[in-house]
Amino acid sequence: MAETSACARNGRVWETGDAGKVPYWVYTDQDVYQRELQRIWYGPHWLYCALECEIPNVGDFKTTTLGERPVIVVRSAEDEISVVENRCAHRGVKFCQARQGHTKDLLCPYHQWAYDLKGNLVGVPFRRGVKRQGGMPRDFDPGNHGLNRLRVEVVNGVVWATFSDETPPFRAYLGEKFWAHYTRVYDGRKLEVLGYNRQHIPANWKLMMENIKDPYHAGLLHVFFVTFGLFRADQKSAVDIDETGRHGILISRKGEQEVNDVTADLRNFQGDLKLADPRILDVVKEFPGEDTVGMITVFPSVILQQQVNSLTSRQIVPKGPAGFDFHWTHWCYADDTPEMKLRRTRQANLFGPAGFVSADDGEIIEMSQQGFSPSDMEEALVMMGGREIAPTDYMVTETAIRSMYRYWREVMGL
Amino acid sequence: MIRTAETDTALRGRVRDLYDAYYDTLDDVRLADWPDFFLPDCLYRVIPRENFERGYTLSTMQAESRGMLQDRVTGLTTTQMYAPRYYRRFPGPLRISATADGIRTRHNLLIVQTLIDRQSEIVLSAVCHDRIVDQDGRLYFAERIVVIDSEMIPNSLIYPA
Repeated sequence: MAETSACARNGRVWETGDAGKVPYWVYTDQDVYQRELQRIWYGPHWLYCALECEIPNVGDFKTTTLGERPVIVVRSAEDEISVVENRCAHRGVKFCQARQGHTKDLLCPYHQWAYDLKGNLVGVPFRRGVKRQGGMPRDFDPGNHGLNRLRVEVVNGVVWATFSDETPPFRAYLGEKFWAHYTRVYDGRKLEVLGYNRQHIPANWKLMMENIKDPYHAGLLHVFFVTFGLFRADQKSAVDIDETGRHGILISRKGEQEVNDVTADLRNFQGDLKLADPRILDVVKEFPGEDTVGMITVFPSVILQQQVNSLTSRQIVPKGPAGFDFHWTHWCYADDTPEMKLRRTRQANLFGPAGFVSADDGEIIEMSQQGFSPSDMEEALVMMGGREIAPTDYMVTETAIRSMYRYWREVMGL
Repeated sequence: MIRTAETDTALRGRVRDLYDAYYDTLDDVRLADWPDFFLPDCLYRVIPRENFERGYTLSTMQAESRGMLQDRVTGLTTTQMYAPRYYRRFPGPLRISATADGIRTRHNLLIVQTLIDRQSEIVLSAVCHDRIVDQDGRLYFAERIVVIDSEMIPNSLIYPA
């Protein structure tokens, strides 16, 4: 905490020890953002890359971005997935421009440097020169010029990668409590992609994490949820956080459409609203226990959504302090019935850039950023439920936001 | 398949009138009238191109009936929260062909969005694959599939295409 950082030099010091406040500059400052890239995104954290089922065969690949760095996620052997930086070792070209595909090797078109599927450099045209002229120096060793290869773990159908040697194994990174939350949905069954949604949200990436760590807003902002009893402040619910404070989960149980003291606090509650075609609310119970919602934030890169029968990974790709790309992969279990796939596809209307509830979130966090940007020495309040940091068995709390910032401050040294 | 454009200019005129009325209704945000352009049993999708090309049906916006279109309007007018904006739709030239199950059309669509104090921006660049049927002398959409090239949506897609 005592170290003099660029941020501290800019007067960007978190003055208060109060866990109930967050200064606006954490969302707006360019130096803070650069430090986040180094210490969080390229630091000892596992980042979401893909679902394993997106690249089933050797040579299948997809491209994505981790932090701001483009990578290629490729099945390099029957039982191996490699994640390599999409940057040629020769002249730094982001050589793979396809979103997805199949290939024998990784080839940069500029000077045709070729890499195998693990990222080893296997071909340098004219390495020995042409007619004894030119060529690479004698001491050039292709073994030293492969693509930068990341550590990878494939965990129950999800591909994770990290830039750091310090990152603990994925299960330890989650901790045992969150391992249990994770394996409730990612239970080892084979997954299948239903489709994608992509949107750019002009707001700081942490606001998306906070949004999912904050059940307080869901019972107020999302009138659709509340009206149809999918997510309400009076439902049996819980907020859990891991030992470090960085991961969080919102757990809730679906209720009914009813009027009571909770809806009395909601200005535009629509007690008599009826859907003309209520098939979107045709929800079936499919997981053990009574909970119908489990929204996990795996810090820093992804939200793993189980909202009734809608299952998605929502990957965050930061784009500077004031924006991020949000990539939704909607999936199902490979052995789902056609009816179940249709149900999940139908419920996807609730989510994504045009979702009955998720569009609210994109809109509101853009408005947050608009409020922060011109007044970055002000502070946001996160003291709902007190200033403590602990799991709760109720919804009206911001404890998981407080816990994320406790961890963030440790990592960032701010 | 018959090239209707060459054989039935009257029908072509009726289809063009349908689209003029449809886009007028949406541009004027007369949302309550929008579902009436569709059959009660219809299919409406705004779907990213990558999903469409891979055979995925997952859509950014989907309705499987006129009722679901009405529910979309209910959401927009009573439960959803979003910043005020204008959408203006720019359809391209129509390609029309008659088939056994109705009139198939294809046209490009650009939707430009303008928010308060902001420059206009493209929210969707798309191609529409529609199926239109004649029922009791009036044309209705039986199917409207809007395939969006511009998959990275500038935050939200609020109004329909």
